[in-house]
Order: sequence, then C-alpha cells, then structure tokens
Amino acid sequence: MENDELLQSILKADDKFHYPPDFLEEYCIMECLSEQIGVITFLVQDRRGENCIAKCYDRKTWTFRDNKDLLANLNHEGLPKQKASFQNDDMLVTVREYINGVSLDHYAAENNLSEEDNIRICSELCDILAYLHHRPEPVIHRDIKPENIIIRPNGSVALIDFDIARVYRSGHENDTTFFGTKSYAPPEQYGFSQTDARADIYSLGILLRWLLTGKTKEDKESRIYRPLSGVIRKCTAFSPEERYSDVDQVKKALLRANPKAQIFRITVTVLCILFAATLLIYGGFCLYRAVTYSPFSGTVIPAVLSDEERIADAVDYMKNRYNTTMFEPADDFANIGDLRSAMINLYGLDHDYVYKVNEDMPCENDAFFLPWGWDETHVLNRDVMAYAAVKLHDPAIVADWTSLKDDNGFYPGVRVAVAFAEKNGIMTGVNKPTDITLGEMALILANAERVFEAAGKTDHK
Amino acid sequence: MNNRQQTTPGCRANEKSTDQLSTSELWGRLFKASSLDQYLDHTGSQQEMPEFSVFITKLAETKKEKPEAIIKRGGIERSYGHRLFSGARNPSRDTVLQFAFGFEFDSDETQQLLKIARVAPLHPRVKRDAVIAYCLHRHMGFLNTQQLLYENGLPLLGGKWDGK
Repeated sequence: MENDELLQSILKADDKFHYPPDFLEEYCIMECLSEQIGVITFLVQDRRGENCIAKCYDRKTWTFRDNKDLLANLNHEGLPKQKASFQNDDMLVTVREYINGVSLDHYAAENNLSEEDNIRICSELCDILAYLHHRPEPVIHRDIKPENIIIRPNGSVALIDFDIARVYRSGHENDTTFFGTKSYAPPEQYGFSQTDARADIYSLGILLRWLLTGKTKEDKESRIYRPLSGVIRKCTAFSPEERYSDVDQVKKALLRANPKAQIFRITVTVLCILFAATLLIYGGFCLYRAVTYSPFSGTVIPAVLSDEERIADAVDYMKNRYNTTMFEPADDFANIGDLRSAMINLYGLDHDYVYKVNEDMPCENDAFFLPWGWDETHVLNRDVMAYAAVKLHDPAIVADWTSLKDDNGFYPGVRVAVAFAEKNGIMTGVNKPTDITLGEMALILANAERVFEAAGKTDHK
Repeated sequence: MNNRQQTTPGCRANEKSTDQLSTSELWGRLFKASSLDQYLDHTGSQQEMPEFSVFITKLAETKKEKPEAIIKRGGIERSYGHRLFSGARNPSRDTVLQFAFGFEFDSDETQQLLKIARVAPLHPRVKRDAVIAYCLHRHMGFLNTQQLLYENGLPLLGGKWDGK
C-alpha cells in the first residue's frame, strides 16, 4: 500500500516542482545534470527525440535581469543556440541546443594533452570570447572553467553555461554579488570593482595554468613552458590594468608561445645568422684573395687558386716572360713537337741535343735530352713533361740511369723525375694522368721555374 | 522485503524492512546517494573508480553469473552487451540502467553503478528516474519497468520520447 502511495507521489512529482506546463508538454526531462541554489539543469528530449539542455531558474532565489535574452541574440558556432524559454510565477526555463562532446575536465583527464593542444583549445576559446566581448553591448561570461567548456567529437571548442554571464555596462562601480567559480574568478569578481572583459581573461589564464599543471593556483614546483608562463602571469595579474586588455592580444601571445612557432622562429633566426656569416666569410675570402693574389710571387697561397686559374696564370706568366703564344689555346693537347719547340725557342737548348735520340734503346743520360725517339706529333705525356721540366733545370736528378724499365714498367729516370715534381709542387694543378694540354704544359714549366729559382738553380743547359 | 546480499562496494544493508517505512522515507531511500555535490566530486574519487567493464565483469564473477544471463535480464542487445563486458564500448546512461536490472540491483546499488559509469545519477526531480528507482526498489524487472514507463508516457529505457 505504501508502495502504491510512493508511486503516486512519484507520478505527481512534476506538480510539486511547478514547472511551466507548456515546457512539460514540449520536453521530457531525462537527466539532472547539475543542481545549484535556485537553478537546476536538465538534459531533456523534445518531441523529435532530440536532446536539449534546460535550465530551470527558481524565481524566489534568482533575479533574472540581464541575460534573459542573452543567448537568443548570440550566434556563434562556439556557443549553444537558444531553442525556447518558458515561464510561470515560480520558474523560468530556458532551453538550448545540446552540444555533443566531452567537458574539458574529462577530456583533459582522458587525453594526454600537449602544449600545442592546450594552446589550440585556449585560442579557440579566445575566438569565442572575442565574439562576446566585441558585441555592441559586451557580454562577459564570468564563469570560464573546464566544466563549462565542451570539446566536440571533431575537436572544436564550445562554451556553455551563461548563468552568470552579464552585459557590461560602464558606470557600474562594482558587482555586489559574487558570481562564478572561486578558483577561476578574478579578485574584482569578489566585489572589489565591476567586472569587464578582463575578468574572463583572468579566468582564461587560470584555465591555461590548470591545463598545463592540473592546478588552478600558482605552484613553483610545476614547470611550465616559459613563454606560456609569461602569458599566464599577465592574464592573472591582480590588477585588471596589468592584464591583457583584449582577448585578441591573449590569442596572439598564445600563438607566439606555441612551441612549433618558437622552433620556426629559432630556425629562421639561426638560418639568417648562418646566411650572414656565410656572406661575411665569403666577402672576407674574396678580399683576402684580392690582396694575396700574385701567382708565383712566393707569397701565393696555393689553396686559393683553382686548377683553371693556375693554368691561365701560367699561360700568362710564360707569355709575359718569354713573349710567346705557343701555349694557346690552353686546352689544346700538347705533343712532342711543342715540347721540343719550347726547349729550343724558350730555353735556348741546342737543337741537336733536343732532337738527338739513341736509335737502339732509350737513354736517360746527358747525351740525349729525351730518351726516346718519338716523332713530332706524338702526344705529350704528363710524366715525360715532368722528366723534361726537371732535366731542363737539373739534369743530375734524372740522368745516368740504366735506361731499362723496372719491374713495374717505368723508366727509372722518369719515375724519379715524377716523384721529384710531385714532391716539390711542380705537378700542382695537373690532374690528367696521361696526355696534357698546352696550358698544363705551361703550368709544369712555370712551376718548375718557380721551384728551381727558389732553390737558386736557374741556369739551363 | 529486501534481503538480497549486498555485493556492490559501498552499499549499506537495509536497517528496516520496506513495509515499515513511510512514503517520504521511502522516497528518501530511493535517492539517498543522489546528492550531486557528493556525486560530482571529481577530484579524488573518480580516479579510484574501476573501469565500468572491469567492474561488471568482476561483479558477474562474484555473483557466479554468466554475462549472458545478466545481458538477457537487462534486455540489452546481445552483441552490444558483450562488447560492453569486454570494454570495447562505453555504455549510455540507459544501458547502465539496463545493467542494473540485469544485476537485479536496488536503487542504491544502481546509483553506485551509474557513478562508476560516470553518468548522471537517478534524481528525484526527474520523474522518469523516480519511476525507474521505484521499479528497482520493488525488483520489478526490466520488462515490467518498461511497461510502467510506457503507461505513464515516459521514454522507455533505450528508447526515445514519442511525445505521448
């Protein structure tokens, strides 16, 4: 019997709570989501089975002044749309869109949010607040906290719960009633002065700290990425004058503090420094080369010159010194005839000595300048050129060998001459292993002159 | 007479039989764990709570019942119920309530189960919740509960409101 009374009592419960009848006709209450003094929030279903949020305000405890039509006038994807409102003498009910998603407090607990995630969430929140704050009559939310922020399945952010949101009116000196959630509320919200947009900026700073450290109060042990700790400090300054004056400034500061943006900025700076340093080094190099550029002067820095430059300089050197153009064009291949001409015409060697050959076998001795009987058109080999250049200045280095090939197929005199030429820099700049050009011929001759002049042996035979 | 064994952690045994209680006491008993302030205390308790799937699996083992039987008694779609036991899905609030019928919970145990599933508790100001709490208290079973909801124009468990 008691149980039947209980059931009857349950079925008549709605009458006891005095909901507006037209609200109960349109919506079915499904869940109680929150209950505070004077206001209770329900998940309701409309006749199409669509979920909505209904807030029921008790007129005895709630003076419903400023935000009666607040949501109705707002249109932003980050804010819930108002669907309807109902009232009777006891209660006022507002019904808004149900935003599908997870509140930020749960979302943060279930996901390991990175600094970039937190910056993105706060940046999107800045966009929503900018819409509210920049309206002709600015709307201050005044209860920014994780429970009032919904992360949709696609990751976008929505701001809910306008219980205490109010339109800012300049001239009101202070708020006489405390609104909001104490951990997130700025000092002025306790009644020190009227709250403006900077109250939301304060709460945003606390929210960011909570996202990064899990705490709403400053904690010296919690390490926050330094650029972000600066943003939090400025958002949560005690005096509203010391905070960011506009939520757009907060967003800019957040984006600047983004670790990716920081890495990009550092990378660009380093690249600029490297580029400037490269320019400086290259400029210094060019200046240094201009100052030191004096081929074969004895002060020349070999590493400064490329092989092409060496050859060009050697051709010029021979041209100036011997008044000859026989080494041009420098990239034509040289032959034995060119070698014999140079020895006779430039260095004054005896014609017969240069042309004399041993008919029987190669002879690397003083009686013959060249040990072999090649004709004039035979290509000039690098090693033969080295042999001639060394023998020209100091025949004793290469002469009087047995003229027999060694086990490796080399003639001893040529081998000694090449070793000497390589050791003393006469071959520097001559890369071809076999046939050489007129330019390379000039280079070997010029190099040999420099080496032997430096050694004090300048007399030719 | 509720003399069932208390198997849900934190649930207290009834001190008085139901017949000895007044309507207001019964009402209070239906919702004694529904204080939202206590319920929504996220800070410490939630981290200590087990996963829903782990909880129902262990509970079924403790009660020496097969998931199949619990799913059937709760009127839950079979494959969906097994996925919930395996933890592959998160249950809706209505499904948690169906599990409460599957486990033959009373209203107090159901509040605990809703808490573990991290969904809103049964609340006395929600008529549908009050009817469900009454049915749980009376151990009316899932189908009888659906019947009572239907008769009073309330959305069925797992269904939508048709506005009747």
